[in-house]
This record gives sequence, structure tokens and C-alpha cells, in this order.
Amino acid sequence: MSEGGPSDPLARLGERLDRARADENRGRPSGSGDATPSGLGVGFRIGIELVASLLVGLALGWVFDHFLGTRPWGLIVFFFLGAAAGMVNAFRAAQGMGRGAPPPG
Amino acid sequence: MAAEGSPLEQFQIERLIPLHIGSVDVSYTNSALLMTIAVVLIGLLLIAGTRRGALVPGRLQSTAEMAYEFVAGMVDENIGHHGGREFFPLVFSIFMFVFFGNTLGLIPYSFTFTSHIIVTFALALFVFLLVTLVALFKHGIKFFTMFFPAGAPIFMAPILVPIEIVSYLSRPVSLSIRLFANMMAGHTMMAVFAGFTITLGIFGFFPIAINVALYALEVIVTALQAYVFTILTCLYLRDAVHLH
Repeated sequence: MSEGGPSDPLARLGERLDRARADENRGRPSGSGDATPSGLGVGFRIGIELVASLLVGLALGWVFDHFLGTRPWGLIVFFFLGAAAGMVNAFRAAQGMGRGAPPPG
Repeated sequence: MAAEGSPLEQFQIERLIPLHIGSVDVSYTNSALLMTIAVVLIGLLLIAGTRRGALVPGRLQSTAEMAYEFVAGMVDENIGHHGGREFFPLVFSIFMFVFFGNTLGLIPYSFTFTSHIIVTFALALFVFLLVTLVALFKHGIKFFTMFFPAGAPIFMAPILVPIEIVSYLSRPVSLSIRLFANMMAGHTMMAVFAGFTITLGIFGFFPIAINVALYALEVIVTALQAYVFTILTCLYLRDAVHLH
């Protein structure tokens, strides 16, 4: 096996592998993975973002009240902050889906 | 807690080897047993898969290489080749642990440790703390500019900054709830339909057919949720490394 061009068998194998991978990826849209976002998955994800931020906001408010003795103002203020943060997160999640990079789920 | 025959009975923690250190209960439970099995299996797969190092890989080596390339691609794509590679071992460990935890739970009579929020929350909290520390060490005081969206007028800061902080703090919560809720919902649903099978008598074939379909769906969900958990870890790490 002594011929011109890429004489190293390893280099030739590498080339063939690269070509095969390129063929494999041609059919797919670019982006990570081939998991298409299902409606349920998207809804679930956004719902979780909303609820999680609200819960964190409420927990923070409760902790503030507990240590500063400002009951019930911390809870009230942080409830609204949590709700706003939840909407920000949900918005960002939805935006990311349009870009195709972050995942469904 | 859960009654006998309840669909939630499968999530019961059992103490296999009771152990107490002081007043802390550190018993070896069925959850810990499954975690041990997962870690041992991952170790065996990777050790056996990379032992021969053949040029044309066999089955085991192919599996190990596929897992490696999948996660390596994810890390490169999301964190970037520069500054991303040092997190590869961590991201790979998280992916394999969650994936094996999810998948082992699909074996009948086994236990899904990822269906317990304390497990997923511990994982997510670890990721969160790590991301925060990485960002602090890399950027120092500049890290806190992350809490103020670029271009917003300065008088909005009293409203925007708390919102961003709450939004940042909610990351581990949403990360852990997503994995735990998906796993628990799927397994509970299958148990509920399995319960119908007995009570419906001759029409029991119908819930069985649904369960077969659900099982296939669960196989997808296990892989997808492991993927989602890992890719969100990558995205958070990217935020920490590049700070938007």
C-alpha cells in the first residue's frame, strides 16, 4: 500500500469518516440534537419556570419577614418580584426555543 | 406513607442497612443502592469500553465513544471550545449519572432515584453553586453586572435588580423540579394504568396497550430529561464563563 496522496492509512480512514459524518448530518437542520419540541414539553417547561420563580420569591419573602420582622410586607413584595421573575424566565425560555439552541422539555 | 397498592408506593424509600451517625440517619437505602449500581455500571462501561482502544471499535467501545462524543459536542457547542473543555468531566459525570438513574428506574421492581426531588435538587444546587463560584472567580466583582440587563435606564435598577436576582436564584429550583416531575409523573401514570388492568377484568388489555405505549414514551423521556438537565448545566456554565 505505497501510493501517492494521503499515504497514511489512518489519514485516509479519517477522511472517509469525515465524509460519512458530513453525509449523516446533511439531512438534519443545524442545532443541537434532533429532539423536536413537543407542545406538551414546551408547555411543561414554561409552566415550571413560572412556578419555580414564584416559589423562590415566596420563600425569600418569608425568610426576610422571619428575620426582619416585617411580616407581611416581605411576602407581598417578593410575591410580585417572583411573579415578574417567572415571566422573565418564561419569556427567555420561549425566546431560546425560537433560536433553536436551548432544549424543549 | 403511601398505602399498600397505591401508585405512589414505588417511590417509597426503604432502609436496607440501617445506619446512624450521632442523630443523623445515614442508612443505606434502596435509593443509595440504585445510585451505587449506576456508578458501578458507568465505571464498568467506560473501563471495559476503553481498555482495548481498538481502531475499529467493538460494541462496548462504540457505546462509550458515542457517549463521549455526544457530551463533548454539547460542551463545545454551548460553552465553546475555549474555557469549556475543563468542565467536560463534570458535565459528562452529570449526564451519565442522570441518564443511568432514569434508565435503571425503567426496569420493573427497581427504583428511580431521580424521581425524588431531594436527589435532583442536590444535583441542581451543586451545579448552581459551582456556576456561581466559577463566575465569581473568573470575573470578580463584574459578576454582579449580570443582575442588571445591559442598556436599561439606571432608574429602573431598584425594580430590575431584585427581579434578576430572584430569576437567578430560581434556576436550581426549576432545574430540579423539571427532572423530578417528569420522572415521577411518568412512573405514576404507568402504575395507575397498571392498576386499571386488574380492575377492568376482561377489558384489561386496553390499559396494557396504553402502558406499552407509555413505556416507549418513558424511554424517550429518560434520555430527553438527562439531555435537558445536561444542556441547561452547559448553558449556565456558558453564562458563568462568558458573562453574556
